[in-house]
Amino acid sequence: MHLPRPFKNPHYTKNVNRRTKNLKAVLTHERDRERADRERRRQEKEDAMEVDGEPGDSTPEEEMPTYASIEAPPSLLPQRRYCDITGLEGPYTDPATGLRYHDKSVYELIKGLSAAAAKDYLAARGVNPIVK
Amino acid sequence: MAEQLNITRLPPLTVPSLSVAASYDQHRGKGTPLIIDNGSTHLRFGFCTSNGPRSQSNAVAKYKERRTNKPLLLFGDGIEAEGGAKSQVKTPWEGDVLLNFDALENALDYAFIQLGIDTPSIEHPVLMTERLCSPLHSRSLTSELMFEQYCVPSLAFCVDSVMSFYYNNLPSPPVPFSSDGLVVSFNTASTSVIPVLNGKGLMSHAKRIPWGASQATDYLLKLIQLKYPTFPTRVTTMQTNWMLQNFCEFSIDYPGLLRRLKDPLSMRASERILQFPFTLPTIEEKTEEELARIAERKREQGRKLQEIAAKARQEKLAQKENDLQHMLSLRERRDEESKKEWAVRNTLQEEGFDDDAELDSAIKKLENDLKKVRKKDADGDELEDEPPSFPLLDVPDADLEEDQLKEKRKQRLMKAGYEARERAKREKEREREEREAEERREVEERERDLAGWASKLKKEQEAIMNKIKERNRRRAALNDRKSAAAQARMKSIANLAADDRVPKKRRKGGGEDLFGADDADWAIYRKINNAAPSSDEEEDMVTLQAVEQKLLQHDPSFTHEHTHASLSAQRSALLTAFRPQYDDGDVEGKSRIHLNIERWRVCEAWFSPNMAGVDSAGLGEIMQNVLSRFSDQEKGRLVKNVFVTGGPSQLPELVPRMQAMLRPILPPEMPLEIVRAADPMSDAWKGMADFAKTDEFTKVGVTKEEYEEWGGERIKRWWGGNWNSSIPLE
Repeated sequence: MHLPRPFKNPHYTKNVNRRTKNLKAVLTHERDRERADRERRRQEKEDAMEVDGEPGDSTPEEEMPTYASIEAPPSLLPQRRYCDITGLEGPYTDPATGLRYHDKSVYELIKGLSAAAAKDYLAARGVNPIVK
Repeated sequence: MAEQLNITRLPPLTVPSLSVAASYDQHRGKGTPLIIDNGSTHLRFGFCTSNGPRSQSNAVAKYKERRTNKPLLLFGDGIEAEGGAKSQVKTPWEGDVLLNFDALENALDYAFIQLGIDTPSIEHPVLMTERLCSPLHSRSLTSELMFEQYCVPSLAFCVDSVMSFYYNNLPSPPVPFSSDGLVVSFNTASTSVIPVLNGKGLMSHAKRIPWGASQATDYLLKLIQLKYPTFPTRVTTMQTNWMLQNFCEFSIDYPGLLRRLKDPLSMRASERILQFPFTLPTIEEKTEEELARIAERKREQGRKLQEIAAKARQEKLAQKENDLQHMLSLRERRDEESKKEWAVRNTLQEEGFDDDAELDSAIKKLENDLKKVRKKDADGDELEDEPPSFPLLDVPDADLEEDQLKEKRKQRLMKAGYEARERAKREKEREREEREAEERREVEERERDLAGWASKLKKEQEAIMNKIKERNRRRAALNDRKSAAAQARMKSIANLAADDRVPKKRRKGGGEDLFGADDADWAIYRKINNAAPSSDEEEDMVTLQAVEQKLLQHDPSFTHEHTHASLSAQRSALLTAFRPQYDDGDVEGKSRIHLNIERWRVCEAWFSPNMAGVDSAGLGEIMQNVLSRFSDQEKGRLVKNVFVTGGPSQLPELVPRMQAMLRPILPPEMPLEIVRAADPMSDAWKGMADFAKTDEFTKVGVTKEEYEEWGGERIKRWWGGNWNSSIPLE
């Protein structure tokens, strides 16, 4: 990759601003801007209405899709319970650790797990017990 | 054990091939549009006239080569070749968002070099892909990069999945594009659903799930790590990716599948075994002669020590004999001379003896020692003392003098000791006889009636095992604060500590606490103390083992499997099928990974990301949501042409599964058809190439002047592009 690159514009100074922003920073920036935009638009609409004294024809506002708005909503369906260890159906829950298990042989295994291993299993499911 | 051992070895790392840069002459000055499909995993690029894209994995690594100390910039597959570069890899994408523009710049440089461009600026209009509703930040920076650094004449953005849809539903030109359908796009870090009506992608009704191939790979890796916490080698993401692509598949009916796999046999049948490379440990096997030599040496040393000890003993013996002789001569001298001269001479004191009696006793001791030693050397037996005589005991006290009284006391003590020893010996003999008698009885019984004896012993063994189990259960219950056993324990402790335990009747009599009078009372302390049962347990284990030994020896129907040890260590058949155990010495076995349920579990997460901790609706639900926003008639048009594209869509059984998900929610007469892209990986690029050849393309891009006027965020709204911050076409 040390070939010449003549197509590059030599006069182009790198914009220092473009230091890699964090993903979270980018998204929050977007969100703030969108909120400001919406506020502004709503303000404009109010002004327009006041002036006319009657609701102007509100342009059917197609929701401008942004990165955040098209994100899928949380699930509404009832969750199925799967065993944390084997992946089969896990109808039972161990009260001490909170792990779900499939049958009593798996329960024996759970009883023998160390605390760190139990926490790992829970983290795989997305449950993060903070103080345990 | 007719198991179908599907052992696959991991593929060896392929050495990437160097691709030659194309010659640029074809396109010089022609202004052919340049197509760049900027994907999270692969960067596909090329001119729109070529048949297919050039593709490289989209990653950059700035690496300092060790040997020549030159900083190298590697791109794409070249990173695989250099091991050290892998740790420094950077991709322009983070999940779904373009973030690292240095990396993007390098990637684009590579693309242009490969295409052989050598003009001072890129003179081709460019068509690039964007994520669905990509953040304005990314877009503005990409535009800035393209316009300012590369000076392209015009730049257009599009959404990759819609382009792939276009390619597969190509209208014959020049009819404008007007198909309908529901596009389901499987990307690396997300999955999105976009409805297309009348040829226009309706971005406002599109939805995106934050679960894609990379999340699935991570989930699979996590599952493997949990299942094999002590795996000898590290499993990398590349390997997990390979595993995902080759072994995992969707299941049409996940709960039904689970019910079927509950049975250990079917689980075994469905597993795939992956063999990882392993190294056999080098055992230093000493040859026979070496072993013999080492043993010889040890024996020699032992013998030498023994000889030294024997010599030391001899010397001591000689010394003692000398002393004895000396003292005997002293005594003779004493006897010869008269007492007075003896005292005057104080010979005794010179010798260190205070008294005649002491001299005598010292002589006697030495004689005894010598006798013992000589006897030991001779035959090594213990001396049997003849019953020593105690003459003085019979004489009543009054007649004796003081010295003799002392003697008498001494003799009484010795006699008591001697009698006690005799008694102990006799008891031991009696016990031995009893035991022998019992064994004889047992042997007789066994020979007479094997079955009855065996059953009696088995019952005993069961009883002991039950006791052990009871005790274990009780201990577990005691640990739990709320159980009945623990509460009973607290009650007894409280009782003991309370002062008013004394019953009222006794109080009149003096008020003494009569707790300890009855021996059984002390047993309560055993119950309270949790640590006590250990001694009981050991006794039980010992008796259990003895019983089991006898059974093993004589009863043919009682095998090792019935013993308590094997019963307690038994793992259920299910767990063994799930994760087979290998012996300690089996290195090859230990570096195997068995994938049985994970193959479907990982893919199921696409339809229900809650399994993996992602709080989002699954694919089926999302499709339902998207469809519900349309009228029935439109719905009909959409589902007639459901289009699946993207890399992960190549996982098997996806289409039947989606059909199973969609069919129930649609009215039965609506025709439902699910189609997969002909070439999911590069269809987007091909669609873009075809689109670039049409006239529409020129209208859709943002030219340099427009960029300078509006900035990097504005684009024109068209059927294949994003909507955010876009202005409609004229």
